[in-house]
Amino acid sequence: MTGQPSGPPGPATSGTGSPATTGAGSPATTGPTSPVAGGTGSPPTSGTGSLATSGLTKAFGGVTALDAATVEFRHGQVNALIGPNGSGKTTFFNCVTGMIRPDSGRTSYRGADITRRSPHAIARAGIGRTFQLCRVFPRMSALDNVLAAARPDGFWSQLRGARRRVELDRARGWLTRLGIEHLADVEARNMSWGQQKLLELAGVLMSGPETVLLDEPAGGVNPALLDRIGALVRELNAEGRTFVIVEHNMDLVMSISDHVVVFDRGRPIAEGPPAVIRSDERVLGAYLGV
Amino acid sequence: MPSASELPAAPRHRLGGLFRAVAILAVAAAVLSFPSWAPNPYILSAGVVVLNYAVLSTSWNFVGGFTGYISLGHGALAGLGGYATGLLVVRAGLPSFVALAAATLLVAAFAVPVGYAALRVRGASFVIVSIALVLILLLVFQSWASFTGGSRGLVVPRPFPGLLRPEHHRVFFYLFAALLAVALLVWWLVDRSRFGLGLKAIREDEDKAESLGTPTFGYKLVVFVVSAGFTGLAGGLYALWFGDLDPVFQFSILTGSYLVLMALLGGVRQLFGPLVGALVVGIGLEYFKVEFGNTPLHLAATGLLLALVVMFMPDGVLPALGALVDRFLRPAQSSIREVTAAELRDRGSGPPEGDRPADPPASVPVGAPDGRSAEERS
Repeated sequence: MTGQPSGPPGPATSGTGSPATTGAGSPATTGPTSPVAGGTGSPPTSGTGSLATSGLTKAFGGVTALDAATVEFRHGQVNALIGPNGSGKTTFFNCVTGMIRPDSGRTSYRGADITRRSPHAIARAGIGRTFQLCRVFPRMSALDNVLAAARPDGFWSQLRGARRRVELDRARGWLTRLGIEHLADVEARNMSWGQQKLLELAGVLMSGPETVLLDEPAGGVNPALLDRIGALVRELNAEGRTFVIVEHNMDLVMSISDHVVVFDRGRPIAEGPPAVIRSDERVLGAYLGV
Repeated sequence: MPSASELPAAPRHRLGGLFRAVAILAVAAAVLSFPSWAPNPYILSAGVVVLNYAVLSTSWNFVGGFTGYISLGHGALAGLGGYATGLLVVRAGLPSFVALAAATLLVAAFAVPVGYAALRVRGASFVIVSIALVLILLLVFQSWASFTGGSRGLVVPRPFPGLLRPEHHRVFFYLFAALLAVALLVWWLVDRSRFGLGLKAIREDEDKAESLGTPTFGYKLVVFVVSAGFTGLAGGLYALWFGDLDPVFQFSILTGSYLVLMALLGGVRQLFGPLVGALVVGIGLEYFKVEFGNTPLHLAATGLLLALVVMFMPDGVLPALGALVDRFLRPAQSSIREVTAAELRDRGSGPPEGDRPADPPASVPVGAPDGRSAEERS
């Protein structure tokens, strides 16, 4: 991996209008290795300005998916969000990321109210997410999938070439880090499920979030890949990213998370470190239906 | 870019690029020299019509190709450009080409509220909203006869009154060719830009693009306005050339449908797709009109053409041609690679295959503390 573009030649790489040496910003600090790539500022101190909701409520028809959910996730930690099916975890993600509007309640992130912001504004505020049923851009190459997540700032910079050196290096860096750089020129729809999950994660990381929401990262993934994903989450967390992970695989949850929040019927019923949650009666009750 | 290679390690053949360049030059030469070898003024005027279609469908492809929003209303935007140009000449007394420029800006400005409303809905709903635009404009321009001339039509004075008819066609042929070149250039620039990549992400999965921080609505609106501007410009140029506007033809769903047909036929992901489609469908339409007169038969023939393309070349003519050229130039390769057991042994931990089933190769440490190699870090 030399960072040299080695993909098929095409109009996108042959442009002359945008010299690769100008306007490069600070490539060394925005690469896949930096703690908070492209974030809004210096890494926050742990425990302050976290992602929090108060009284978040959302009903679909007569079904209350979220029932006045008040949660606070810890900044700089790996948070897990668990609960039985239908307990509102995914709805919670969708409300927090602006994909659906809550009926009432508020979401705040790093002290700012983000409840009514559009999804792209929330993404730009530093919250990235994956989807339960892994979503990638099917008819785009893996490299373009990641490049599409680069977030150019300013109106006119949008007109620059998409395959500029700085972004290519970052994108290839993420593909390499996730172990799928050999698939850079393969269309996403031709990749396996596991590869697509890695690609989705690469794209989200390319967008430079400080906080990453993962919706069932272990779903449909083989055990070897599962270990890799777990290790990767811990590493990315060590570099300063906060995680909130919805997951049913208790082995994964207990091994990688610092803090666990348990949902049942649209609201948190327990929270604490994994060891405590594992033996909490309310949690056992919710899961086993006792 | 045509025929994105299915195989990770297969760079596109150099001969493929050469073939492409030769094909482009040949088409450009044929188009530019057409007025010299067109046998009579009627054929030349048919050439102007076909080029007009090429500009319109390339303009349509700014929205349809990049974002995947299928608009049947672009015929109405062209009609509006035509009427705006004509009315500015007739009622406001502006010089022809000043009127054309003003009409282009008017159509682009009109596209802002239209896009603002229409781009909130997706899929079939967007198609229906775009049809509604055509019907609304048709009713307005037919009914408001005191201003637009209504069904009696609007006669637009020619910009070059001294020119004889063949000369008039020739001048406009080159004007349309120049406009086509500009539209293609802008499409190409968007295609390779970050903006274009964002638009393509919208086409693939709009919610996903939004969740990655792409302001999807703004992107769609901007490209819709650009598309409408080119469409209005082409419509205005048509009005100056043809000199007679009738609401039934200017605001016809058929026009918009032709543009969609052309772009789909050529290939919406291709720079030259709509142009190729316009050449095929436009020439076909003109030919069928001559052969079958103004009977519905020419529509049936066009429909048959569409059916054949959809059945045999669902991605359009250009990708099908590209695949053919690729197969011709690289007969040894297929998407399923056959390797012997010995080759596999030799390869060992060599470069991994693209069609490996599930996992990244073990030789690439996912858990490495750093995405780069040791040399890069030093």
